[in-house]
Amino acid sequence: MSAEPVHRPACVAGDGALLDVAEAVAADWAALGVRGSFLARNLDSGEQLGFDVDEAMPLASVVKVPLALVVLDRIAAGELDPARPVTVDPATSSIGPTGLAAFRHPATVAVGDLLLLMLSVSDNAAADALFDLVPVAEVDTRLRAWGCAGIRVRHRMNHMYECAAGAAGNDFSLALELAVRDERAGRHTIETLDPAHANLGSASALVDLLQHVWTDEISQPLATAELRRLMGFQVFTQRLASELRADTLRWSGKTGTFLHLRHEIGVVEAESGDRVALAALTRADRRAGLAPDIDLAMGIGARRAFEALRG
Amino acid sequence: MDLLAHLEAYVATVDESSFSRAADRLGIAQPLLSRRIKTLEAHFGGLLFDRSRRQVTTTELGLLLLPYAQDVLDRAQRLGQVARSARRAQVRAVGVPMDCAPVALARVIRAATERGITLGMRELPPAERVSGLADGSLTYALVRVPREQAGVRVPLGLASAAPSEAPEPAAVGASGGRRRAIHLEDLRPRRSRHGELPAVLPVLTLTEDQVPYAHDRLVRAAARAGLPEGLVRPAGPAATALAETLAGGALLLCAEPFARQHGASWAPLADTALHRGYDVQGARGRPAAVDVPDWLTALLAAAAGAPAGAPDTLRLPGPVAEDASSRLAARG
Repeated sequence: MSAEPVHRPACVAGDGALLDVAEAVAADWAALGVRGSFLARNLDSGEQLGFDVDEAMPLASVVKVPLALVVLDRIAAGELDPARPVTVDPATSSIGPTGLAAFRHPATVAVGDLLLLMLSVSDNAAADALFDLVPVAEVDTRLRAWGCAGIRVRHRMNHMYECAAGAAGNDFSLALELAVRDERAGRHTIETLDPAHANLGSASALVDLLQHVWTDEISQPLATAELRRLMGFQVFTQRLASELRADTLRWSGKTGTFLHLRHEIGVVEAESGDRVALAALTRADRRAGLAPDIDLAMGIGARRAFEALRG
Repeated sequence: MDLLAHLEAYVATVDESSFSRAADRLGIAQPLLSRRIKTLEAHFGGLLFDRSRRQVTTTELGLLLLPYAQDVLDRAQRLGQVARSARRAQVRAVGVPMDCAPVALARVIRAATERGITLGMRELPPAERVSGLADGSLTYALVRVPREQAGVRVPLGLASAAPSEAPEPAAVGASGGRRRAIHLEDLRPRRSRHGELPAVLPVLTLTEDQVPYAHDRLVRAAARAGLPEGLVRPAGPAATALAETLAGGALLLCAEPFARQHGASWAPLADTALHRGYDVQGARGRPAAVDVPDWLTALLAAAAGAPAGAPDTLRLPGPVAEDASSRLAARG
């Protein structure tokens, strides 16, 4: 309708056949009004395909993966006891639709189980309770020390709610409206959507992180093994996992959703031994809270990429 | 000096040979009549009447000037007649939406003729109906207004191919032919157990529904109902959009009379907030804005497709109950 310049995704691919897959996924997304980045990499051969892989995007709940890794690193180093009880009181805890964030009464949960709640049901209150133990700045510093330059951690989970509610006064439609409009205008009313202030990551930086976690090239094996185990407990299957559900496949992932953002990163492991890490970060040009066709398009892309990259 | 009024007094007095009878005939007081004649006499510089006898008689000057005075009055009267008939013959342009039923428009024209007014119908897109009122090229127009202000509400629905050709399940009454409304979320593509997702029919919109606030409201409702992006899109010319609809390749957003008139099935949208809101407005011209008579409003409303009777109170959809704040938080 408008005369916006047509965005041409920059594809990366090992060969012509993989390039075809990358282009097909990009076209599929574009048809749904979705902009974003996508990267799939075979963890053993290093072959990959994707597009716009270096575009930095606000991470939403995907940031819980690097947070978990830093917390697990502290635990593995013996600096933090996974059995340490933490009391989360709804009066002061972070807002969210699942887990402790949705509790109506105070609950005491061990640090190790906060990690489980944060990764399995994307519990914002559990995540911010962990940020209380390992502050935002420390998570960011540790990631930099590990060489994860493409990932920035700058704020707690509840800051996203505070910024959205601050701009839209608890009106979800209005917040969504602002998010979509600001994306077109390139100016952000909601600070946590502004690349200058948000928790940030690119598809390539996130796939690098997953690769390091799955090949024990980061932190300590105790920490990476636990992160792999916990990511396997994620209950959400509507996105990258949607077309990868079989008893012979194992998906370990973490979704992220905030207003018009729909993300997921994860690793699919087949009984045959093939391992492919994936990152799909999207922003939709649509004022809908639920968009199952976009979730499904991400899942269809994940399956195509996995089938193209597996041996 | 109002020369015509003074000449009238003079001619009437000659005819009646009496000041009082002339005053009666003209419906004015006798002193006023006398004053007018004196003024006229001063103007012409001589007496028109001899008042010295019991009966008023006309002087020589009065008789000399009489045919000329009569001629002036006759011409003035003809001038007035021409002006009146010109006024009656003047065509008042009415801006109407592009897809009104001709029969309904004919009813408006006939009703106006009975009232001595000639109306001309101009089919125009919404923006041109507004500008037409402003620049005076239209006397009246059906103007699109946002839903909360509209005096006339035309329900919108979806036209589809006639049931015999390609049934649209939601449009066909399930129970005893009762017409069922279409819910936008029912138009979502269905996940098929076999192969690819089935193609979903696009929803085409006509020029009449491409006014910014109405289009925006529709697109937002479609997004919230989970319809894929671009499913609701502007049609080109109405004729080709209709052809595509009748061929079973699209659904057309329109009012019921338009669909019926062209042999398409039609079912209303359940969300009555999605309607066409109109006011009948008169030109905002000089010296005063044109008032719109009630009969015209009623007939134009019917022509646009508004149901008879006062519009129901508008039920705006309430938000689905849920924890509002957690929707604004980061989610899994």
